[in-house]
Amino acid sequence: MTALSTVLLFLIVQFPAPPQNVRAYDTPNDAGNSITVTWDLSPDDSVVSRYEIYRSKGEPSIDSAVVVGSVLRGSTQFEDNSVENNVHYYYFVRAWVDTLYADSKWSAAAYAKPQWFHTGRKSALVILIFFGILLFYYLQKAKQGAELYIRRIAGLEAVDEAVGRSTEMGRPILFILGLGFVSDIPTLAALAILKRVSKKAAEYESEVIVPCYDPVVMTAAQEVVKEGYMEAGRPDLYNERNIYYLTADQFGYAAGVDGIMVREKPGAVFLQGLFYAESLILAETGHSIGAIQISGTTAVTQLPFFIAATDYTLIGEEMYAASAYLSKDPLSLSTIKAEDVAKMVFVALFVLGVVLETLAVITGNQSFHFLKNWFALF
Amino acid sequence: MRREVPLFITFISGILLVIALFIPHKPFGNLEQRFNDWYIIVSGFTMILGIDSLLLHHWNNFKRKREGWIYSIALMLAFFITLIWGFYSGIKVGSPFKPNASFLKYFYTFVFVPLQATMFSLLAFFIASAAYRAFRARTFDATLLLTAAALVMLGRVPEGNRASVYLFGIALLIAAIVLLLEAKERVSTFEKLLHYLGAAVAIVLIYVQYRILPSYLPQIADWIMNIPQLAAKRGIFIGIALGGIAMSLRIILGIERTYLK
Amino acid sequence: MNFWERLGKIDRRIIYLVVFLGVIIPILLKVTFRVEPMREVKQAYEEVEKLPPGSAVMISIDYDASSMPELQPMLVAILEHCFKKDLKVIMLGHWPLGLPLGQIALDKVAKKYGKVYGKDYVFLGFRPGVAAVMINLGKEIRQVFNSDYKGTPIDSLPIMQNIHNYNDIGILIGLEAGSTGDMWVQFAQARYNAKIILGATAVVAPDLYPYLQANQIVGLIGGLRGAADYESLVHVLGPAYLGMPAQTTIHVLVVILIILGNLGYFATRRKK
Repeated sequence: MTALSTVLLFLIVQFPAPPQNVRAYDTPNDAGNSITVTWDLSPDDSVVSRYEIYRSKGEPSIDSAVVVGSVLRGSTQFEDNSVENNVHYYYFVRAWVDTLYADSKWSAAAYAKPQWFHTGRKSALVILIFFGILLFYYLQKAKQGAELYIRRIAGLEAVDEAVGRSTEMGRPILFILGLGFVSDIPTLAALAILKRVSKKAAEYESEVIVPCYDPVVMTAAQEVVKEGYMEAGRPDLYNERNIYYLTADQFGYAAGVDGIMVREKPGAVFLQGLFYAESLILAETGHSIGAIQISGTTAVTQLPFFIAATDYTLIGEEMYAASAYLSKDPLSLSTIKAEDVAKMVFVALFVLGVVLETLAVITGNQSFHFLKNWFALF
Repeated sequence: MRREVPLFITFISGILLVIALFIPHKPFGNLEQRFNDWYIIVSGFTMILGIDSLLLHHWNNFKRKREGWIYSIALMLAFFITLIWGFYSGIKVGSPFKPNASFLKYFYTFVFVPLQATMFSLLAFFIASAAYRAFRARTFDATLLLTAAALVMLGRVPEGNRASVYLFGIALLIAAIVLLLEAKERVSTFEKLLHYLGAAVAIVLIYVQYRILPSYLPQIADWIMNIPQLAAKRGIFIGIALGGIAMSLRIILGIERTYLK
Repeated sequence: MNFWERLGKIDRRIIYLVVFLGVIIPILLKVTFRVEPMREVKQAYEEVEKLPPGSAVMISIDYDASSMPELQPMLVAILEHCFKKDLKVIMLGHWPLGLPLGQIALDKVAKKYGKVYGKDYVFLGFRPGVAAVMINLGKEIRQVFNSDYKGTPIDSLPIMQNIHNYNDIGILIGLEAGSTGDMWVQFAQARYNAKIILGATAVVAPDLYPYLQANQIVGLIGGLRGAADYESLVHVLGPAYLGMPAQTTIHVLVVILIILGNLGYFATRRKK
């Protein structure tokens, strides 16, 4: 008797306390078919090996319950993505310690449904609307013929000079579009600069060589260069074979472009687009052949290399502004004006945010976090 | 018409994707994924254009016996050998990328890996020559930049703090001597004084760095990386993000159309 | 041009030679330095150390041969740590051309500790579509990988029992040579709250510090130095540790070159 009761007592002591407070609710901001289950950890969480999540359809019945997933100890949440929409489900959570377990109480009924609006993105929507209004205001102004000022960007002023110098030296121009795809904005911005370069080159009767990393970009570059030559009235000079595909391997591309530089000795090298670790390999080789180099990228990690090794560097957004800057098209300029005003507003918001967060820390008053919380929604 | 149709497609798909960001409900929720799939399919076919361009370029090099045409032959040979061997092992073992597809594994280990590593390792040489050329104390800003660079470079390697004391000591001594030499040639008393003051500061700094750098250099390097470096980077990031929005809107609204014919 | 002015115009080939010797001599002489691990590496080590034996660690190979010198020693050190601690290793990758590197290291270290494939470790391989893979791994691994790289169904591997998504993974370790690390944070951490450690090349690491500050990743191993730190923490002195003296030499050499360059610059300026 005493032996048996000791064993029983031992077993009872070893049973983990069950997880508590199990809640099930429709996963917010999704396309349906998902219920999120949360719970409070079992007080014995430190010895629990895992939590199993059980689900029952229609009514809370242990007989019809199925395991829908398990999580490691310390977790308090599970997303069940295998449910039907608009059907009631009940959940409980089982905590396991070795071969022993303890079940929580059933959750209240929950059902999944798809949402029409992503409430977590309210802040993004507000910013988008604000930016849209700004944009249309300045577009209207531009259409009415208002004069829009844009500061001088040395790197873009130097574009024509570089093409001219290269022509004087009787050498071709090399335009490197980097490793971006046509879905990357920097590549599109680079194509706009390429158009200007090829137009100038056509005027001076110079050659433009464009080795490409991606075939789609290659096709786009061919069109852009052709258009540039046509605008300059020299479609006869356009040679499609100068815009060719190299390889889709990063360092293979770097090796190929370096080879072109050393063989063709271009007078001007443009490094525009997305670049990664090959940036300096290209820029130093360009420098060693004595070319005038204009670089531009939004890859922040590569900017220091370009600044150190090339003559002019378009930093991030300067590159995006290039097509507007070079074309002086009032509609394009108006979008840059809108962007600048938006930037001012954001700077003001940052300052406000810093002040509010500092106040929250000093006073301990949580309500000062409202701005941060609103932006953290996304 | 040739121009309007692509512009219309750009406008509609751009607007749709913006809307889809805010609507999780079908069919909007997975629209981005679907568009991406379409892009992958289309770009898969353009690979043919790329291969055509590459081979034709080198075929012409070979045919016209342009300088270096022998390398064009090497390229074409390598291309076809890899292609044929890929098909062959595909038929033989099911997939050219299986571990028992011996040729490609051999090629990978003994050609591809060393070549890639070699290209990347060129960076070490280029960084040295670029740093040597670019880091000149031309202006006050440039001096700050190169000091920060030296602090981070030495702060991030073991024993760097011990070497730094000598290097910074020498650099500061040179700075003091240069300032003294330059002071002699200045005409105005104020500029002279300024240079003497600068030299004095440099000499004081020799002692200061001797006391500080050996024990605090790694922390100083971390501080530079975590505070000023990140602050500047975030500033550029925000600019890029806003510039990206403006650029995207220009494309969606058809204001920016250089990428189109 | 006098001696001082010449210092400002050292031929780049001489610089290359100096760099070459600066790397090769310390390696040949097998000089070693004691390394004091950086805080973020120690943090990463402790997070792995904290895992109970039998937990799963997911390692992602997001690099290829070009960044192998920095990231391969990191991978080996991490694997040593995992197997020493009897953790299960699930390996996959987003850079298809780097995957064999991961596999080579995995097989080698597993053999050293007598681990069994399918029971103690598994190599899942590659599936295209980076973001989609990461998102679906958060739902159910089987949606992405229904079989391992050899084609064995993962349901027939004992290691994959009870492992369905990030919830069942103790720590996710991404080894990064590009921007895939940002995506891990964006998709695995922000969406599914996965615990992430990132190891990265020295060029990429500065981009990842903000995530560490924001607690979106729980550890960061940066560059050859980070790899050497991890090696010294797990007491396996490998190539990264041995490479440290070469790195120190190069950094010192570059600073000396900068000083020489400036001497030359001032000499030329004075002449003018």
